[in-house]
Amino acid sequence: MAQNFDVCVIGAGPGGYVAAIRAAQEGLATCVIEREYLGGVCLNVGCIPSKAMISASHFKHRVEHDASEMGFEIKGDVKLNMKKLVAWKQSVCDKMSGGVGQLLKGNKVTTIMGEATFKDSKTLEIKSSGGTETVTAKNFIVATGSRPIEIPGFKIDEKDVMSSTGALALDEVPKKLVVIGGGYIGLEIGSYLSKLGSEVEVLEAGKGLLAGVADPDCVQVVQRKLKKNGVKLNFEAFAKSFKKTGKSYEVTFEKAGKSETVQADKILLTVGRKPNSDQLNLKGIGLQMDKQGFVQVNSQRRTSIPHIFAIGDICGQPMLAHKASHEGVLVAEVIAGQNRAYDAKTVPAVIFTDPEIASAGWTEEECKQQGHEDLLISKFPFAANGRAVSIMETDGFVKIIADAKTHIVLGVHMVGPEVSNLISEAALAIEMSARLEDLALTIHPHPTLGETVMEAAEAALGHAIHIIQKPIGKSGAGASAKP
Amino acid sequence: MGTTEVKLPDIGEGVTEGEVVKWLVAVGDTVEEDQPVVEVMTDKATVEVPTPVAGTVKELKVSEGDIVPIESTMLILEEGASPAKAPAEKSQATEPKAEAPAAAPSAASAGIQSVEPPPADIHVLATPSTRRLAREMNMNLNEVKGTGLAGRVTREDVLSYAKGAGATSAGAPSFAEIPKLAFSGSAGGEERVALRGIRRKIAETMQQTKQIVPHFTIMDEADVSKLVETRTQAKAQGEKYGVKVTYLPFIMKALIATMREFPMFNASIDDAAGEIVYKKYFHIGFAADTPNGLLVPVVKNADQKNILQISKEIVDLSTNARDGKISRDDMTGSNITITNIGSVGGTYATPIINHPEVAIIGVYKIETKPVWNGSEFVPTPKMNFTATCDHRLIDGAVAANFLKALISRIENPTALMLEMV
Repeated sequence: MAQNFDVCVIGAGPGGYVAAIRAAQEGLATCVIEREYLGGVCLNVGCIPSKAMISASHFKHRVEHDASEMGFEIKGDVKLNMKKLVAWKQSVCDKMSGGVGQLLKGNKVTTIMGEATFKDSKTLEIKSSGGTETVTAKNFIVATGSRPIEIPGFKIDEKDVMSSTGALALDEVPKKLVVIGGGYIGLEIGSYLSKLGSEVEVLEAGKGLLAGVADPDCVQVVQRKLKKNGVKLNFEAFAKSFKKTGKSYEVTFEKAGKSETVQADKILLTVGRKPNSDQLNLKGIGLQMDKQGFVQVNSQRRTSIPHIFAIGDICGQPMLAHKASHEGVLVAEVIAGQNRAYDAKTVPAVIFTDPEIASAGWTEEECKQQGHEDLLISKFPFAANGRAVSIMETDGFVKIIADAKTHIVLGVHMVGPEVSNLISEAALAIEMSARLEDLALTIHPHPTLGETVMEAAEAALGHAIHIIQKPIGKSGAGASAKP
Repeated sequence: MGTTEVKLPDIGEGVTEGEVVKWLVAVGDTVEEDQPVVEVMTDKATVEVPTPVAGTVKELKVSEGDIVPIESTMLILEEGASPAKAPAEKSQATEPKAEAPAAAPSAASAGIQSVEPPPADIHVLATPSTRRLAREMNMNLNEVKGTGLAGRVTREDVLSYAKGAGATSAGAPSFAEIPKLAFSGSAGGEERVALRGIRRKIAETMQQTKQIVPHFTIMDEADVSKLVETRTQAKAQGEKYGVKVTYLPFIMKALIATMREFPMFNASIDDAAGEIVYKKYFHIGFAADTPNGLLVPVVKNADQKNILQISKEIVDLSTNARDGKISRDDMTGSNITITNIGSVGGTYATPIINHPEVAIIGVYKIETKPVWNGSEFVPTPKMNFTATCDHRLIDGAVAANFLKALISRIENPTALMLEMV
């Protein structure tokens, strides 16, 4: 006997579980189907565990590098018990994932564990160890996310070649790690393993790191810090193959037409992610997809089959958890009969490198493409911020781009300590069409890192207090202080 | 064989709706392409709406007297007359506007329903809660003009747009809501008529102007002995050309010469930008009484036309206005207005300025009055003039000097000739 629901959500990641809870709040009979773990990649093998590891590695790094200047005398090396660290990381994930389970239950969402396939556009077959069951629903929300891309010569098996999932599960710090792909996932994991003791080399096919995903000025700061911390960056290096040599590996890559090799104890492949749209029989029931495999949706995230919606990584860039959650709420409300459409101005992005990078709104180039020719651009350095100095983390800056005529804030790009926590103010400013004056005239508490946002706005207006400014001109003439 | 919806087209110039005056066709009629099918009265003009395709009238969707927003369906045509030609191309034209918001990921394509109204464009300056309010009111936020700083669309803009008055037209500042008070008279002995069309537009415009502009009026009288003489001669001359020459063209010429001397009378205040706009052209409006109410036709570039040309234009515009045939274009863009409503009677009036103009000139009936010349009373033709001004821009003393200069030109038509272009 098939169970019938108003809403069936497939995938319990940050898109799916949020959609399910909101749908249930709206009084709809809702189920969520998950094949692996509640909370999805994000809570279990992505955002949350990597942040736990990054915090731990940063803690170790601070003890080793900054503590003595603050007067702490550490005798001998800081000894790492990796197994204990991994167990702690796992406890963080379990806590979060368990929380999702509680929330789903508390909201009376039926959770079904198993692998789903569309039999037809209104019927879902779910296979689990307990057998097969059938679910029918008036509406479906496909939130099955994405998975890592592989390249020829490197098949992910989480043993020889790891994805982020395998790397996060390592219970031993590899002596030498080769990271293929200098995107944000590779850099986040490479950085923390480097701080935990690995010798890390990044093979990047492009000319620089984080190409196209972050402001080039911000990337420069991170690139400098990586080098300082001993991470080797190898650009325009195309990984070709690897072979096992005893317990370690020899990775072959091509650079400037020549074949080179590098030794590694572990290989991490992080060259991007692709939507899981080849699963669930989505093609079989006729869902339209674009060339990259993203399920095509309209601004209500409705697919070509009107009662099927798609949210999160599977329906398009940017593949970010918070975009998925926003869409989850949106779709649940659309199904509940409310008039909603996706009209957010910006999806802020954060990268947990050292230092962190965060952005909201447009880059300088995008501003010009969008017809804003005349820009005010300013940079305020963390070195001029009291709180940054007192926590001994002064690398980086806050950069603000505004329309020169209207002073409306168009883009904010940050690199520095805790910028992942500072960017929300910028996102709000952009959503509210705030002007530079609005940021500058909002009293920011002292002493905090957040003051840099106010000061950067002041700098764009030509009169920041804590840096020396020449009278300001147009495009480019921002603060003169060095980042 | 398909059906086509004939819609009320966008007539332009901020017209948002029209009143159906008269159907020119009935169900079952066969119509040609471009044949007028319905008469619609907009704010100020009556237009005939043509059908874009030929066919047979299947259904009339609106009734005479209805007020319909632009883009709404007026009638349904069965296309059969010329199936070879029209359908494919034309039905595309009547398709709802394209979807396509700015940053949607995989853009909707064939087979995916578009979302109506479309989401706010990334360039629309509205807060998230205002965007949501507009959507919940089923409103296309991209069509709402923002009155806020740098064109921000405020919550108030959305609410007043929803009221349908198109209230926040270009640059008009938003005002506190005027309470809509009910009138409850005694039962019987009254007749109720819908406030609509030109009457409603007059009501709104006058109300808005009175809210925005602090008015004051200055009054004086002119000795028009010489003007009467000049005009009498001109009238006779004009008849040879078949043109009726009135006093109005002379007053226009005197006014233009005086506006050149006092440029603040040929200006507007751009409240949104906080700027005074001085104009280098001279479009002169004149109030015309029509069966439907007050209209203000405009003589464009009156400074470049001679008395005969202006006379002819005034006659043509007035006739069209009276017949309800005047185009919107002929009633917009005036820099200043002359009202000669006083020619009917009354010594002085305090008219309301035709915002965004900054003054309105009142002219009144010529009356022969006894004037003391030092030794005796001489019968003298006198004409009263008033200048009603926007006190934000024009000071009392300036207005007094302006009126004095205008009257001096009226009193000396010969001197006026010297200044004519």
